[in-house]
Amino acid sequence: MSDALVIEIVRKTITVDCAVEEAFRVFTADAISWWPVESHSIHQSVAEIVFEPRAGGEVYEVSESGERGHWATVLEWDPPTRLVLAWNILNAEAEPTEVEVRFLPGDGGTRVELEHRGWERLADSGAEKRANYDTGWDFVLGEYVSRI
Amino acid sequence: VQTNGHPLDALGDPTRRQIFESLQAGPRSVGDLAAGLPVSRPAVSQHLRVLEDVGLVTHRRDGTRHLYELDSAGVGVLRDWVDGFWSEALARFKAAAENSSTGGSS
Repeated sequence: MSDALVIEIVRKTITVDCAVEEAFRVFTADAISWWPVESHSIHQSVAEIVFEPRAGGEVYEVSESGERGHWATVLEWDPPTRLVLAWNILNAEAEPTEVEVRFLPGDGGTRVELEHRGWERLADSGAEKRANYDTGWDFVLGEYVSRI
Repeated sequence: VQTNGHPLDALGDPTRRQIFESLQAGPRSVGDLAAGLPVSRPAVSQHLRVLEDVGLVTHRRDGTRHLYELDSAGVGVLRDWVDGFWSEALARFKAAAENSSTGGSS
């Protein structure tokens, strides 16, 4: 494992000009207002994005015809400051990566820090154990794959 | 003839994604890779060639064996793609959050 080559953690920070509570609410309960569903979703047209507000809850999209598409499982739900998701869009059985989002008060607004990590887990689990499943990479590629 | 495409195009194939994941754990031979997959060795070789063409995989000789491993440059392109995706998504989030917030004007 010493010579493993995996993706480094992706870290992003932005400052949003609104209160922490509002930032958390828009990120989760109103994700449909900003998530780029036209390029990053399972179904062609997405009517709703649901974050079940508890640890163990599911994050999923609902298509216009009412079909659900799995995105993630909530690992930690600490409104309005933090959430951690086990991210395996398309397939709840696939090895997940982890997305953590923190909402911190600052500069009269909210500092949003996002970390996308756990790429090494894709390597540890080994493809042969789950030849019938989609791989962890499917999450990253998402709709990209179906467009090419 | 396979032209040099984008790494993401090469990963559009599920078997190639599995090979790519296996190689994240370290260098492997074609035989090792084929043993863990429901495809033949020649098929694995062909997939490896595609991954090599887009810069995700390189190979070297270890005695009489050929070992395949991930190419850091190609993996960097994938990381940049994930990074770019979140940049775009968060920019849209910022616009939506500031738009919906009543006291948000500065």
